[in-house]
Amino acid sequence: MRGIMRYGILSWILLFLLPSLGTAGYKKDFEDAFLTKPWAGEQIEENVCISCHASQTMKPEFQEITEAWQASWHAQNRISCEHCHGGDPRDAALAMSPQRGFLGTPKDKDVPEFCGKCHIGILTNFLESGHGKALKAGKKAPNCVVCHGSHNIQKASIDIISEQLCTKCHSYERAKIMKVALFVIETRISQLEQRLQKLKREGIYPGADEKSLFSTQAEFRTLFHTVDANLVRSRTDEFTSKLDQIDKNIQDTYQKLRFRKNLSAFFMMAFACMGVIIFLLTKTKDE
Amino acid sequence: MLTKIKNWLDVRIGLNTIFQTHVLDYRMPKNTNLLYTLGFLAVIAYATQAFTGIILLIYYIPHPDHAFRSVQDIMTQVPYGWVFRQMHAVGSNLMIMVAMLHMVTVFLMGNYKRPRELTWVGGVLLLILTIVFGLSGYLLPWTQLSYWATTVVTSMPTAFPVIGETVSQILRGGDHVSETTLSRFFALHISILPPLYLLFMGIHLFFVNRIGISATPFGKADEEKRPLTEYKRKTYPDGYPYYPRFFQKQMYMMMAYFTVMFFIITFLPTLYFPDEANVPADPFNTPQEVRPAWYLLAPYQLLKLIPNKFFGIMLQLILVLIFILWPVLDTQQEKNVLKRPVLRGVFLSLIALWVILLWWGRS
Repeated sequence: MRGIMRYGILSWILLFLLPSLGTAGYKKDFEDAFLTKPWAGEQIEENVCISCHASQTMKPEFQEITEAWQASWHAQNRISCEHCHGGDPRDAALAMSPQRGFLGTPKDKDVPEFCGKCHIGILTNFLESGHGKALKAGKKAPNCVVCHGSHNIQKASIDIISEQLCTKCHSYERAKIMKVALFVIETRISQLEQRLQKLKREGIYPGADEKSLFSTQAEFRTLFHTVDANLVRSRTDEFTSKLDQIDKNIQDTYQKLRFRKNLSAFFMMAFACMGVIIFLLTKTKDE
Repeated sequence: MLTKIKNWLDVRIGLNTIFQTHVLDYRMPKNTNLLYTLGFLAVIAYATQAFTGIILLIYYIPHPDHAFRSVQDIMTQVPYGWVFRQMHAVGSNLMIMVAMLHMVTVFLMGNYKRPRELTWVGGVLLLILTIVFGLSGYLLPWTQLSYWATTVVTSMPTAFPVIGETVSQILRGGDHVSETTLSRFFALHISILPPLYLLFMGIHLFFVNRIGISATPFGKADEEKRPLTEYKRKTYPDGYPYYPRFFQKQMYMMMAYFTVMFFIITFLPTLYFPDEANVPADPFNTPQEVRPAWYLLAPYQLLKLIPNKFFGIMLQLILVLIFILWPVLDTQQEKNVLKRPVLRGVFLSLIALWVILLWWGRS
């Protein structure tokens, strides 16, 4: 009976294993799909702008656009071609049709409005600045891409204000004054960002503080685009107090984490001590 | 007062007799060791998971828009919620470890052999249920880690032709891991698996009690060699009483279990929470590294290594089947694995392979 069961099971296993080997190649398509498809399935739809621009039929300078975008801060935040240029990335035939809202490449003086579709506050302040007014007056003046680049846009930082960049149009002196005015708040923001990241690694998601820091940073950078160092200085205290509040929240969270560590260490010691007592009791009984 | 309650219960349900028969008069084999307490430890682990799980259930919201937030609220707003969440998360991993260790020690001591085949099968099914518990609970915090790990695991059945896609779709409730998947996994985790687990645990313990505990082959080889023609409960009249000696061993191991648990919570709080575990799930943002939980890493890595996915999945199903039915396949009478070089070699190779695949899958 036992032998029959044993061989029965073995035969049953072979019955399943052999066909699986024998028919292994019959579904080539299935295998290819399994190996090539992302594990998640096709979550990201094909973007015809990218596939066309990356193809060999394009001029090299057009091909570089996709590579530049892929390395950008926009790409990391899933801001794609159509968000700036309009059009339909899902339809090759009508991708660049004005009917689908395609805008193409803006003229130099139209760039602020082009970027300002999303960066609304910055647009307002920029247009009020010397840079903005000069640009609109048709004079030689920088637009957004002169400082930030176009497709390979990186996360903005105070380092954009540099002698190398600013002296292309004017002396660095005024820009330096602005950079000094920005320095305190920008450095603080960057430190707080690092501390929030550390908090995340500790298992706490400081969503509210992250949002608060992001909006404070956005508001502060909006202010910078007025290119008015006095205005930045006059509002520095206001931003400092906002950052102080975030800092306090982070400190409170760290304090809570320290308490947690102490409490769980106490539990650990309590259980360990009880374990030792029980062990000693066992030994006493044995004796 | 206590004596009064005891007497009241005794005249109604015979409490003293139960205590006398199952605790004081219950004899354990003389050569039992600490490894015999691993089954008890698995029960304790389950009880801890059930208790902490119920606390979490009060605050958890099984919806993609709220799941992550609610877990964060448990961690930051609910008084001492973090203790229960950490105990539950660390406990789930420890429970799987304890169950695996229990199976390995039972295997090494040959205690799956007749007449305990059914106890073994029940144990393997409990281990599988424990892993399903872990898998279903993994998605619930709705983090980047849990979302993509579940995506990977629910993709694994697609390697199976014809029905693979359907199985995957049933698990996910659609083409992708979504709100439906979360609802399904939540229902599975809190209302289907717990009673199922209790049922199997009851059956397993019934078998253990009915057949009698097996003696380890490492000490005195006192397992009876009689032909299996009629039912007979294995007893040890010359053994030592369950209480207090073995009970103390169980308590000692229980304390060790909680010490390890709180050691991890204190000194390695992020051991089971990498960076992706602290970020809300984003179906449109695939992380750099997508991998399942450690206990599914070895099968996942094996599936990635074998170029033919159908063969890969069949091989794994067959290995599981062999594992379940091992007592029927192994007809050798010798229990001591030290006296069986081939089995010992195969077993150690499999363990080594599992560790290598796990490590490979991690890196």
